[in-house]
Amino acid sequence: MNYIITYRLLGIAMMLLAVGELRAQNSVTAASEQVNRKMVKLFGIGGFKGLPSYGTGLLVSAKGHILTVNNHILNTPGIVVHLYDGRRYQAKVLVREPELDVALLKIDEDVDFLPHFVFDKTAEKAMAETGDWVLAFSNQFKIAQGDEPMSVQRGAILTVADLKGRRGIFDAPYSGDVYFLDNIVCNPGAAGGAITTRKGELLGIIGRELKDNRIDTWINYAVPIQFKIEVQREDKKTGKSIMEKESVITFVHKALMGNYQETVKIRREDKGGYHGIILVVNAVSSTPPYVEEIVSGSPAAIAGLRPDDLILYVEGFSVPTIKIWRETLKQYEPGREISMQLQRGNKLENVKLKLANPPKTVN
Amino acid sequence: MFRRISILAAVVLVLSVRSVSAQEDLNDQLEKLTKDAAKKAGESVVQIETRGGTDLVVAGPKGQVFRTALGPTTGVIVAADGYIISSAFNFLNNPTTILVRFPGKANEPLVATRVATDKSRMLTLLKVEAKGLVVPDFVPKKDIKEGQWSIALGRALDVKLDKTPTICVGIISATNRVWGKAIQTDAKVSPINYGGPIVDMKGRVQGVLIPASPKGDDETAGFEWYDSGIGFAIPMEDILAVLPRLKDGKDLQKGLLGVAMKSQDMYGVLPEIGLVQPNSAASKSGLKLGDIITEIDGKPVDRMAQVLHALGVKYEGDKISLKYKRGGEVKEIKSLELVGKIQVIAQPFLGILPLRDDPKLGVEIRHVFDKSPADKTGLKVGDRIVKFGVDEKQLTAFIGDTKRGRAQLFEWLATVTPGTEAKLEVKRKGADKAEVITLVLDNLPGALPGAPVDVLDKLPELASVKKALAPLESGNPNVKPPKIVEEKPPMPETGLMLRNTPDGEHKYWLFVHEDYDPNVAHALLVWLHPAGKKNKEDFEAFQEVWEDYCKANHLILVMPVMDKDEWIPSFSDFVTAATRDAMTRYTVDRQRVIAHGWGVGGNMAIHLGFSHRDLFRGVCAVGAAPIQFKDNIAGQRLSFYLTTGELDPLAKSIAEGRTRLAERRYPAFYRQHPERGRDYLNDKQLREVIRWIDSLDQQ
Repeated sequence: MNYIITYRLLGIAMMLLAVGELRAQNSVTAASEQVNRKMVKLFGIGGFKGLPSYGTGLLVSAKGHILTVNNHILNTPGIVVHLYDGRRYQAKVLVREPELDVALLKIDEDVDFLPHFVFDKTAEKAMAETGDWVLAFSNQFKIAQGDEPMSVQRGAILTVADLKGRRGIFDAPYSGDVYFLDNIVCNPGAAGGAITTRKGELLGIIGRELKDNRIDTWINYAVPIQFKIEVQREDKKTGKSIMEKESVITFVHKALMGNYQETVKIRREDKGGYHGIILVVNAVSSTPPYVEEIVSGSPAAIAGLRPDDLILYVEGFSVPTIKIWRETLKQYEPGREISMQLQRGNKLENVKLKLANPPKTVN
Repeated sequence: MFRRISILAAVVLVLSVRSVSAQEDLNDQLEKLTKDAAKKAGESVVQIETRGGTDLVVAGPKGQVFRTALGPTTGVIVAADGYIISSAFNFLNNPTTILVRFPGKANEPLVATRVATDKSRMLTLLKVEAKGLVVPDFVPKKDIKEGQWSIALGRALDVKLDKTPTICVGIISATNRVWGKAIQTDAKVSPINYGGPIVDMKGRVQGVLIPASPKGDDETAGFEWYDSGIGFAIPMEDILAVLPRLKDGKDLQKGLLGVAMKSQDMYGVLPEIGLVQPNSAASKSGLKLGDIITEIDGKPVDRMAQVLHALGVKYEGDKISLKYKRGGEVKEIKSLELVGKIQVIAQPFLGILPLRDDPKLGVEIRHVFDKSPADKTGLKVGDRIVKFGVDEKQLTAFIGDTKRGRAQLFEWLATVTPGTEAKLEVKRKGADKAEVITLVLDNLPGALPGAPVDVLDKLPELASVKKALAPLESGNPNVKPPKIVEEKPPMPETGLMLRNTPDGEHKYWLFVHEDYDPNVAHALLVWLHPAGKKNKEDFEAFQEVWEDYCKANHLILVMPVMDKDEWIPSFSDFVTAATRDAMTRYTVDRQRVIAHGWGVGGNMAIHLGFSHRDLFRGVCAVGAAPIQFKDNIAGQRLSFYLTTGELDPLAKSIAEGRTRLAERRYPAFYRQHPERGRDYLNDKQLREVIRWIDSLDQQ
């Protein structure tokens, strides 16, 4: 008994001495070392032409569960994992969540006592905010192999905003809030990496390489681990579709227990609220939503819209093009009253338009 | 014992934690300071959106279109009564509607009008109907120093205007950049924050972010540097200084002197004037070719870069004082008013093709263009121009020696304009005596909008007397005529060759036909291949198409290999390096260096032509539309041959491009082929291009 205590105390003293070594260094060094041990390099066997067949993942259990992005590497015939200490294993995909754009993998052998990120209630804390300093860890460009550490980058949160955000990225794999980062972290192979605080606390998962089509700029983002998005499932008892909320944290938590129920791809269908606005011909991809005609007696007519009005905003969201107007309107159902801002001549007009059920078509 | 260890441990713990936490405190404080600064300044940072306007904004040499104005951008409040400054980049496409939204007021957009644009600093002033807006504090220029914190703020990503602006932290990298106009920051600058401010740790505005580059002066120059750690901002102090002028609604133009230096070397040689633009501030003040500028505004200058620094900050109407050296004498101009846009520069046309590689004094006429001034005065093939000028009593004789007659005639023509009554002293073919003729100079063919023009339909056979390497006859009677030593010059390598650029970084293919004669100046065609066509077979195929013409019409092909996905402006340097490398190895006619490309390569060719006026004299673009234009420069003629098929969706833009080139008095041709798409030239079309190349040294 005494022995054990002695050893423990000695151990603590040694550890503390080691911490003392950091005197001349800063907390980032300590955080990097600690985070690096919980990260893995992923390599796809085979792979696809033109796409990097390597990536980054996070250990989320002592037994070798790995969280990464739900991307093409997972579709290669095999996945090889390099741990922080150089050990190599094959891994298999256990479960994916396309709406969150993440997947859980498991090392194919019996391993234990691996350092890992903890995904329990303690991970659920307030999201980081604009201007917060962060660290990004990833194996971008496949720089590290075996026991070599990840590339760690310093950065800050540029802003927290909706990834789609009507940015012209209609095929974005994820549709909730993300951390936009001020540093170029979304490089080949970086997806699945970690964004942490300066102290090494996990904030988010590095996303893919995407371009914001509206400003024609590559964006750098990470998915916050606690941000909840809507997913659609089939209720086991009734067989009906139900909407639920999941975050990366709840996904990992449930998936580790083996009870994450896969979701159905949400069809963001047109809810079909009818307005009665006929726009000008959508001639070029950036044609703004100018009103050509208003169907008489329609909700738009009642709201007082007129031909030649230019629709600027819907519910505070900018609708610069006909395409974005259509995408935006899909989400409002009949009966919903939407606020709109229009330009009429040189004046701005505010109108409220109550969407109706589509009229029966008469031929 | 155990207790001792644990006490020791506790002590170590306390010590180490203290030092780590001191660092942490500092980091925490810095982090908090940046957020506070952003929050404070953020009240004056607005979101700008545009609607309508032209769809195609910038076809960079990427060939791809940047739809810049679709997305939201950023602006900074500069006056409480509704004035907002932003980057001119955001309004490139002439939007029909400009909307401004203020922080916390997503539902109260205001319509803005464009008051004026500062075309020197590339900023646009907007006005909305508002009162009591928050004007930010600013940092005086003298207090902005390298190494200070500099936080770039933007609103492009802010959807609901309910957040602090985007924050990118950096430092001031340098001051006095872009010829004295801008401060440089290493904060990430991109369309996310163009038009937004950089602020210090107190939230005071240092400057307003713009895309800029010392190498270019159009609205998108520097865009390719986005997120690169190189960003530029115009100091707020300078913006406030011109604000009253902008509020008057008049665009501000860069102040121009109107000279081009003799050498393109910005740092190595004295600033000697190589060309004075007609009707410019310089020509009105009596500056002449060969003058060396020694002082501007009391500051000595001995390099072109210093001249650019001294003039870069000036606006139209600004006055400068200037000293220059002519011969051995230093002269002074006390007050010289800079002009804005120099009126369209048109290059004059005599209507002849000169005989090439001619070592004799003067210029022998190889061809007379139909209905040209030369034709109207009865000039004929074989006649030799021996003197020229505007005043019959003071005609200039050719000097020979180091300057070929053709080059000297070019230099003179760059100083006069179409409509000028010119005199030529001409020795008729076979006659002994010279006579003086008078003609009124015309515009170059294709250099007027509207009038459809044709490329010469037949070329005169004899182009060169094949004495390019022979010493030139001298105009100085005291110099003995050079002995012509008949020796065969060493024969350089011919065929298709793979070469490295002098820096070894890039490769280019070079094709020299087997009958190459170093005594004949060759035209140089720089081929900018379309995306992906970069394999050996592709270049061999291109060579095969051109080979016969290379022999018959004395052409050399330079084919740079672009190993990235698409041509981007920064590749210009390697293309010009390859071109110059080829020019040192072979005899090349500097009046006939052509950038030629198809599709994306065509866009690159247009970009190269505009940005390397000292090198390229022609641009032949297939299936590519010129979208951005630079003004013509008198001494550096640039001709265009644009072509595509009528089925190419770009056909209309290309035709428009030709008109806009001609409006700027560039000699430009447009050829649209029926029932074809954006295909490469067929044989008939190729022959026309060859004739166009051969007529590039028309005078």
